[in-house]
Parts: sequence; structure tokens; C-alpha cells
Amino acid sequence: MPKDVVSVPLPRKPRPTNVIVNGTRLDGRGPEEFRPIFLSTGVIPQASGSVYAELDKTKLMVGIYGPRPSDRWHGFSEEGHLDCDVKMAPFSGGQRTKWGQSPEEREMAGLLGVAVEAGVQRSAFPKATVDVQCLVLEAGGGELAVAVAAASLALADAAIPMRDLITSCTVSRVDNQLLLDATSDEAFQEDGSVLLAMMPSLNQVTQLLVKGAWSGGELDEAIQLGMTGCAEMDGICRQVLQEAIAPP
Amino acid sequence: MDPKGEVGGSLEADAFRKLYPHQFYANFLAKHTRPDGRALMQARPVSVTPNAVSSADSSATAKLGDSAAIAGVKLEVAVPAEESPDEGHLAVAVEMAPMSSPDVRPGRPGEAAQCLAEQVSSILASSDVIPRQQLCIEQGRACWVVYLDIIVLNADGSLLDACLLAAWAALRSLRLPSVILTADGNVEPCDDLPQTSSAAAPEGVWAGRMLQLESQPVAQSCAMMGGKLISDCTAEEERLADTIIIIIVDGRGNLLGLIKAGGTAEAGDMIMQQCIEAAKLRQQDLCRLLEDQLSAATLS
Repeated sequence: MPKDVVSVPLPRKPRPTNVIVNGTRLDGRGPEEFRPIFLSTGVIPQASGSVYAELDKTKLMVGIYGPRPSDRWHGFSEEGHLDCDVKMAPFSGGQRTKWGQSPEEREMAGLLGVAVEAGVQRSAFPKATVDVQCLVLEAGGGELAVAVAAASLALADAAIPMRDLITSCTVSRVDNQLLLDATSDEAFQEDGSVLLAMMPSLNQVTQLLVKGAWSGGELDEAIQLGMTGCAEMDGICRQVLQEAIAPP
Repeated sequence: MDPKGEVGGSLEADAFRKLYPHQFYANFLAKHTRPDGRALMQARPVSVTPNAVSSADSSATAKLGDSAAIAGVKLEVAVPAEESPDEGHLAVAVEMAPMSSPDVRPGRPGEAAQCLAEQVSSILASSDVIPRQQLCIEQGRACWVVYLDIIVLNADGSLLDACLLAAWAALRSLRLPSVILTADGNVEPCDDLPQTSSAAAPEGVWAGRMLQLESQPVAQSCAMMGGKLISDCTAEEERLADTIIIIIVDGRGNLLGLIKAGGTAEAGDMIMQQCIEAAKLRQQDLCRLLEDQLSAATLS
């Protein structure tokens, strides 16, 4: 294609304005239900660990390489290093995006690193690096939360020593109603959101991102819902790991 | 047997494979077989899944053994170029996801990825493969721009074969939507016309349609190793090969491309003929496989 062609996308279909109809959500879920969760380990045979994660229209892959020498200079450290990278496929969202790291990808990579790092025993691989590489194939909402859970599962698949699995979920507030695991259409209508990443067995939170104005009681309620969600996700992750080790 | 089903999974064999890979392979090739149990010219199992991602206008994943690629199409509109007012545009990009191989690091695309992108786009850009007149909405005023992005998810050899298969499957399942071209030159989406109305489309409406593609281009990677010809190489085999030969053919028996990348072995007439014959057979196999998958996808 010639370089000087200027193309524009077609106007998008408007997003639905009412995402809760008679107490149920557009995809038929109750307010405290996850989308159907599909997780699969070992999808990239040559990586140390890998996961394909699908929550309805959110689809992503995580590959783990290492521990190995880093190609970047990190300075001396007794502890190992965790390098996170997030890429969005050009066709993953509404409008085509170009390759090359966007600010959103950089932010997501940073947040993913912080959320996962707390659970990894970095002293087990001093001076080495573990690369966590995430590719979002389709962004249907809650990519960061899914990426955190998938990355921790992939790290476990790579047999990287960890303190616990890290699971994550989002809680959105739409029309004063708390919704677990919002889709992108629901998130578009939200006036507040909470992203919670935690280690459910240790009952420790590794990341809490709150957006919007919340009253104390309301936030408590949202965090409680998030913790229930994380525990549910944890159960599924553990089942996937067990089945990967000993198929039923 | 190790979990991958390969012969010789013991520790000694693994160490031997790492330390003396050429001798390791020579032992297998002497017996006309390969470490993964394939015959010399036998391909790995292939699978294609159309419509893998719903955010794209069309998409497909292709797997050749462990090699995997996903292709997605995003449509945009533009004004046709002055020298070809009745044609649309096709923009092809290929990327290696950092997770696809231990050698790919995040950041600027590496040499391998750029080389691959150039090969795929030159095949798809060559005449007749994609009839660009079909991408024209109105001559001189509006046309479709097809952005085809291919991502290698797992790089285990014969990547051009996998990328081209994924790309073709995505293009084969591409439906251009119905649009209205307004008087001031804007293109706006509109609902599809009812199938039953045989009357001509209303003024200014461009009826949606499938992209009509004729002959599937297929790439077949072969390699010379220790004087023997093998097909559909894994990444390990590509590293050890003396030379790599890639043949691209279409369904009409035309040769669309031939890549013989340097190397230390020469490939004479006999070898080239053998590769071309293998590629033609492969084209028929993959074509049948893809049509089966596409008709299964439309029925379900």
C-alpha cells in the first residue's frame, strides 16, 4: 500500500447505554458472576511456562521465559528481576492500532509487574531475569485483571518459586450497582471501579486500584465482592494446574 | 518416550542432541526418519480455526505442529489512489510476539520478523492473488483499506507457511459490510439489505459481500540437511539445515515464488522439482482442509 494513503475507520456502532435490564446484565449474568472462564497451560511448548486465558470476549496469552540472563542492564541485585511486557494485537480493540508500545501498554505492563512481583520469590533466581510476556488478542474488558491471573498461572507453569498464586478481578459500579468482572461495554458506563489483585491463600492484597468517588461503606462492599471473586478465580486456577500435572 | 512423543527422551540422548546436534540428526536421517518420528517429506499436523477473534472484521489462527500464527483484518475506508481509481488497498504487517521464541525480545521488530513481513506481503501483493477491484466502493471516490495483521504466537519453524495459511483463512472469511456513500463523500455503515429483495439497491448503497478469492497461495518450506531433503522443518531443523528452500504455488499450478536462502548446500534441478511437486500436493491438502473448516464454521 502506498505510504501516503490516509484511511479512516467506519463510525462504530454505539455502545449500549443500559447495561443492566431488570437486574440482569446484557450477557445474562447476575451482578456477582464471572464471565465463563477458560484457562489452559502449556500452550507455547518452547516457553518455560505459558497460559491462554479466555473470559468470553477477553482473550490473551502469556509466555514466560527464564530465569535467564537479561538483555537489559538492571544493575547489581541479589534478587532476581521480573520483566513484564504487554502488547495489544492491532485488531484487539475497536480501532486498529499500530505496533509499537503505546502509553496504555506501558502502564499495563507496569501494573502487571507490580501485581505479580509480590508473589514471586525473586531471591530464588539471583542476578537472573524472568520475562513475562503478555499478548492481548481481544480486549473485551478487564484485560489487566485477566493478565495478572494468567501471568501468575504461567509463572507456576514455569515452576518459578512463588509464595502463592495471584488472582485478580475488577468490580465496576454502574447505576449504583456493583458488577463483578465487567465487560468493556459495562466498563464504559461505570462511574467507579476497583481492581483487586491478591494472594488468596495468604489473604494478602498485592494491588488495589480504585477509580471514581466512593464512600467508605461502599468501597468496603466492593472490596469484599472483589475478594470473593479472587477466591473463586483461585479455585479455577488451582484446578487447571492440578489437571496440567495429573490429567484426570 | 518423552511427553512430546519423540524418540530418545533419556537424559543422555537430550545431552547428545544439545552438544552434537548434527550427529544427532545424521543418525536419524540415515534411517530416513526424523527425531519427532516423521518421514523426511512428511508434514506436521495442520489445523485452521476461522473467526478466532470477534473484535476483528475477520480472523483466523493456523497451527503447523507447534508453530502457530493468528491473522486479523481491520477494515478502514480511504480515497483510491489516482493511478488506480478502481482499486482498494491491502496493508500487510507481520509481527513476532515476544512470547513466540526465546530469541525474540520486546521492542523493535527483529530482522526475522521484517523479512517474514516482506515475504508475506509480496506474495499477497503479487498480481491476481487479491483482486483489488473488489475493494472499490465507488470509482475515484471511496475504497476499502484492508489492514491484515499477522502475529506469530509460537515460532517453531516454517513460519511463512503458517503465516500465509492464517492470512488466507482470514481473507477467505472476510465479509465487507454494507455501506452508504453520502453525497459529501463520507462512508457510513448501514444495515444489510434483506436477502429476498431482488430489486436494485437504493441509491448510494453499496451492498455488503464476501471477498471473492480464487486460488489459495500456499508456501512449502523444505530444507537440505546432510544431503537429504526434508519438508516442513521445525525451528531446530531450520537452524541445522544446510539450506532452506521455500516454494510458493497457487491452485492453478502457477509458481508464485521461490526462496532459496543462501546456505552451504546447492539445490539442483532434481531437488527443486521435488520441492515444487511437494508444494503442489501441499496446496491441494491445505485448500481442502481450509474449505472444510470454513463450511463447518458457516454451518454451525
